[in-house]
Amino acid sequence: MSIVMKKSVPILLVFITSLIFLAEYFVFPELKDVVTLLQNWGIILTAFTLGFGAVNMFMFHGKQVSLRAKGQWPYSLWLLMILVLFTLVGVIMGATSTSYSWLYNSSYFALSATVYSSLGFYMTSGIYRALRAKNAESALLLIVGVIVLARNAPALAAQFPILVSMDSWLSSVPTTSAQRGIMIGAALGAIALGLRTMIGRETGFLGRLTEGEKGG
Amino acid sequence: MFVTGRMFALGMLIAVCVLIIICMELAKRKLPTFRRIAGLDALPEMIGRAAEMGRPVHYTTGLGELNTNMASQLVAGLSVLSYVTEICAKLGVRVIYTVYQSQVMPIATELMKEAYTRVGKAEEFNADDQVRYMSGEQFAYATAVQGIAERERPAANIMIGPFYAESMLFAETFYRIGSIQLAGTARGYQIPFFAVVCDYLLIAEEIYAAGAYVSKDPVLVGSIQGQDIGKIIAIILMFVGLILTLAGSSALINVMKL
Repeated sequence: MSIVMKKSVPILLVFITSLIFLAEYFVFPELKDVVTLLQNWGIILTAFTLGFGAVNMFMFHGKQVSLRAKGQWPYSLWLLMILVLFTLVGVIMGATSTSYSWLYNSSYFALSATVYSSLGFYMTSGIYRALRAKNAESALLLIVGVIVLARNAPALAAQFPILVSMDSWLSSVPTTSAQRGIMIGAALGAIALGLRTMIGRETGFLGRLTEGEKGG
Repeated sequence: MFVTGRMFALGMLIAVCVLIIICMELAKRKLPTFRRIAGLDALPEMIGRAAEMGRPVHYTTGLGELNTNMASQLVAGLSVLSYVTEICAKLGVRVIYTVYQSQVMPIATELMKEAYTRVGKAEEFNADDQVRYMSGEQFAYATAVQGIAERERPAANIMIGPFYAESMLFAETFYRIGSIQLAGTARGYQIPFFAVVCDYLLIAEEIYAAGAYVSKDPVLVGSIQGQDIGKIIAIILMFVGLILTLAGSSALINVMKL
């Protein structure tokens, strides 16, 4: 593939598309239809790429099963069986059918809720290590953490109402200010990245280009 | 013609873009000095450790999608993936990139293949094994990544992109298996989780600067300086707004509403 097709055309497409989106947001709201059309193209392209994902899964897990990879192949086999089952039910009965919904809700939905719930244990173990007064900063984190935890324990909050106002101040003053600082920094970072991408200088997503390929 | 309520934002956007371009041009003549980012400086050391231990490096960009407002974080993550893959290829370390959105797969595959080609080891790249599509469902993806952590025991775990509830699942699992971890996200709610568990952290704007930082390209590095001048302008505006508000004037607020 020539360098023009591989690098220049994608950069040009990114530039034109970005300009259209910016123009619609700030100057020409009448470009809404064009923007919607472009977004729909994106959704269609995404749907096509699902095929890549499915092929990748079959290639990788099929190989694990055929090689009887230790500690992996039973999981790979199970995954492939479920993948085929969902595909068959979805194609034959339809993705909105009761059978498909039942299959999804009684398997993935329940598992997903279980994994989400397990997050509590991961957070406990992480915070247990973090809340240790090793230096001034960690001592501060420990104090603030204890206040917030105590405030969220109903019995303690009822006994010591000051915890409620302390927690409220911590959330609305230092935490909010820090979050806003992070947000402003992130927004400026995103602008810089967007600009570099638009003008073809940030090409990490296309592979790292040489000076010649960037056009000097 | 202009959309009411967005004129001030447009003016600021143009001003920041002009500043960034000026800084990029100035950087061609003299490279600006800026603070080091410990997490990015540690990348070669992290991969070197993986090489010594004979274990792979795991990389993921979280729930990044190209057609949502999280795209910029995903692009930032992909910029670093290229750099990480190149070092891994040089040192003969296998890098496993786990994918949440299938649309990222062809881009990541191409990008990693190029990194291997650059160091003359194109034949060592195995796309089927190294670029792995997990699932487009959040917790299926999360558990699949945890499975890789438990079974393949990567020596280093690098996570740059938009992360949600899976951030703590990843960070804790990789901590438990003894991986050295670098995490970066611009999602404010997940930063504390990464901060308490991971060895290195990139906070918000640092992930956007990461691609420029690791590229060592003076023009890209110049853009980071432009970004910092933007921050100074934001701070000045905040002080002016504070003083005006205390003086009972809503002039700045009215200008911002234009």
